[in-house]
Amino acid sequence: MAHRALRTLAAGIVLALAGGVLAGCSSGGPAEVRFHLSKPEAIPYFRDLIREYNDSQDDVEVVFDTSSNLQAGFLRGNPPDLGLLNYNMEMARFMERGALSDLGDMPEAERIRPDVQELVDQYATYPGRTSVLPYSVMAASVIYNVDIFEQHGLEVPTTWEELLAVCDTLQAAGVTPFYGTFKEPWSIGQGWFDYSVGGMVDVAAFVEEINELGTEIGPDSEVSFQQTLKEPAERMMQLAEYANPDAPSRGYGDGNLAFANGEAAMYLQGPWALGEIAKTDDQLKLGTFPLPMTDNPDDLKVRVNIDLAAWIPESSQQKEGAREFLSYIMQQEVMDEYNAEFLGFGTTTDAAPATDERILAMQPYYDDGRFYQGVTKAVPLTIPIDNLLQGLITGGSVDSTLSRLDQEWARLALRQ
Amino acid sequence: MTQTQPAAAAREANAIDPERPGGVPSKRRRRVGAERVNWPGTIILFLCALTVLVPLYVTIAMSFKTTGQAVDGNAFALPAPFSVDGFVQAWQLTDFPVAFTVSTLITVVTVAGTVILAAAASFAITRNWDRRLFRWSFFYLLAAMFLPFPVVALPQIQLTGLAGLDNPAGVALLHIMFQLSFSILLFTAFLRSIPDELEESARIDGATTWQTFWQLIFPLLAPMSATVGIFAFLASWNDFMMPSLIISDPAMQTLPVVQDMFQTQFSNNYNVSFASYLMAMAPAIIVYLFTQRWVMEGVTQGAVKG
Repeated sequence: MAHRALRTLAAGIVLALAGGVLAGCSSGGPAEVRFHLSKPEAIPYFRDLIREYNDSQDDVEVVFDTSSNLQAGFLRGNPPDLGLLNYNMEMARFMERGALSDLGDMPEAERIRPDVQELVDQYATYPGRTSVLPYSVMAASVIYNVDIFEQHGLEVPTTWEELLAVCDTLQAAGVTPFYGTFKEPWSIGQGWFDYSVGGMVDVAAFVEEINELGTEIGPDSEVSFQQTLKEPAERMMQLAEYANPDAPSRGYGDGNLAFANGEAAMYLQGPWALGEIAKTDDQLKLGTFPLPMTDNPDDLKVRVNIDLAAWIPESSQQKEGAREFLSYIMQQEVMDEYNAEFLGFGTTTDAAPATDERILAMQPYYDDGRFYQGVTKAVPLTIPIDNLLQGLITGGSVDSTLSRLDQEWARLALRQ
Repeated sequence: MTQTQPAAAAREANAIDPERPGGVPSKRRRRVGAERVNWPGTIILFLCALTVLVPLYVTIAMSFKTTGQAVDGNAFALPAPFSVDGFVQAWQLTDFPVAFTVSTLITVVTVAGTVILAAAASFAITRNWDRRLFRWSFFYLLAAMFLPFPVVALPQIQLTGLAGLDNPAGVALLHIMFQLSFSILLFTAFLRSIPDELEESARIDGATTWQTFWQLIFPLLAPMSATVGIFAFLASWNDFMMPSLIISDPAMQTLPVVQDMFQTQFSNNYNVSFASYLMAMAPAIIVYLFTQRWVMEGVTQGAVKG
């Protein structure tokens, strides 16, 4: 009896294997476009959008992909047909090697603001191609508790001196000026360091120059971490003194909770934290302002990153279908709706302005192109810059940390 | 036949101890055990149990909290208000039934394939140990134990892509392959303790090699098959990296991989993620509850006879 059962089981396994192989070969019907999205919060939003689109026409059937591995897909030769994800240095490697097709001839490409498109080019370019279309930009600056500021009769500071005055007033009144979450290395890089550097230094130019310098970077080169970024880093350390004393043991989750409970007046985080804070208190009045680092209010800038960028791989079999769906999601109403819901800023010339009052104050800076991409994002992941900065902010020395960065930069340049 | 059959011997040994207090030495040991509690040991084991029970409690409590309560910093608090919203969201976000079915299919194929293939291979190897081909093939298969998947990940991705195996079937196949070496090690150790005479008597009765294996040897291997099966089950059910790299169709992805979306740098959805983890953990815990007796038996038997 056991004999027969086992034989049936064996046959079942063989059938299952064969079935799996054959399932991959089916064809016919509408063109199947695989759409990859990396932002978990936006999954329900795009799921509805895809359903709407699939119902509206019969040529293209969009399949939603939130889990597949991009590297494996490109390696195997079947990457998703359309990608919409956070744009960073890792993604730029694909474009640098020509794995992404040219979208420059799409009418949508014309609508992208040139200074926003330039953000993409700051990572890498491929000659003669517009491979990546920015879909949404996140602008980040200091988040502040409006009620606390009003209680103490404080104005939003626009210069370094005013900022210090605000901090001193708050501290004298027994309010923690900044909430620091130094346990989490990325929060130091993203907020404390990037804001400090971005407020004083032309980040794009700095990155371009250190890339050109390569192995030549060092104490005697024209620009370097230890020379150019010394002053911002020192000012960052000065501000860190105003942070909560237990900052080194606080993580991102703790910070959101504490800030939502009004335990500090300012929080150096991006708009992603606003949603997390709202989980605890969705009535809290919050605002944002760029961190003033100099005595000139004209130097104020906000930190931006490309929250979502669209691309179509060169090796996709369904480029046409993917383009059609891309045009669909790049209709202005769709983009505006997305940005309104996820606190993003539009990337097109005709984008609707932000409406959420928590990020409203950043709109003028964004419109004028007064923004920069975080300097930590220009450093390849091989160099653990966030961890080095964590060492700095929890008591390290500015000079040794920055010269270490120079050495790491030169070493990496030598290897490449 | 002076030697006793191992399985029967084990059963006898089990029977003497707890069931039959007639044996003199056994009785004395029992009384000693009953009178004195081993306090240091109990405390250590209690602490060990806590390391499992506390996270489990947090998992269960979290999964029934609302999103607001989940981030309030009190992980140990009881859910108030009690909410199943996490389960609903997790179910929808991961497309739970599909991912669960795919995971289950891969696991079932892996367990069955590993047990059958490893048992058959071990049988062939141990009974032909004097032949160089079999001996070397044993070493060859064993060598695979020292080859972790990440090392061969890139070629595997390309090969499965070329062979049309970039789907759950390919993952099951690779799971079987990676599970094979360790399983064969366990089976051969166990098989060596089964006397040849048993097999010879079957042959005298006219059994073919195939019949000897299926009707005599394979049933005798049952305790070890349980061990091998459980190892294969855990490895396959919990695997993240291989399915995430090999399966190209997102709709056919396994549970651990689709759950990855809950972990991001910027947002914490503890209630949703823990609800999802709980649903994914349940089968492994349930399977273990029902089979732990065999696991323990299998492990100790393998250890003694090896």
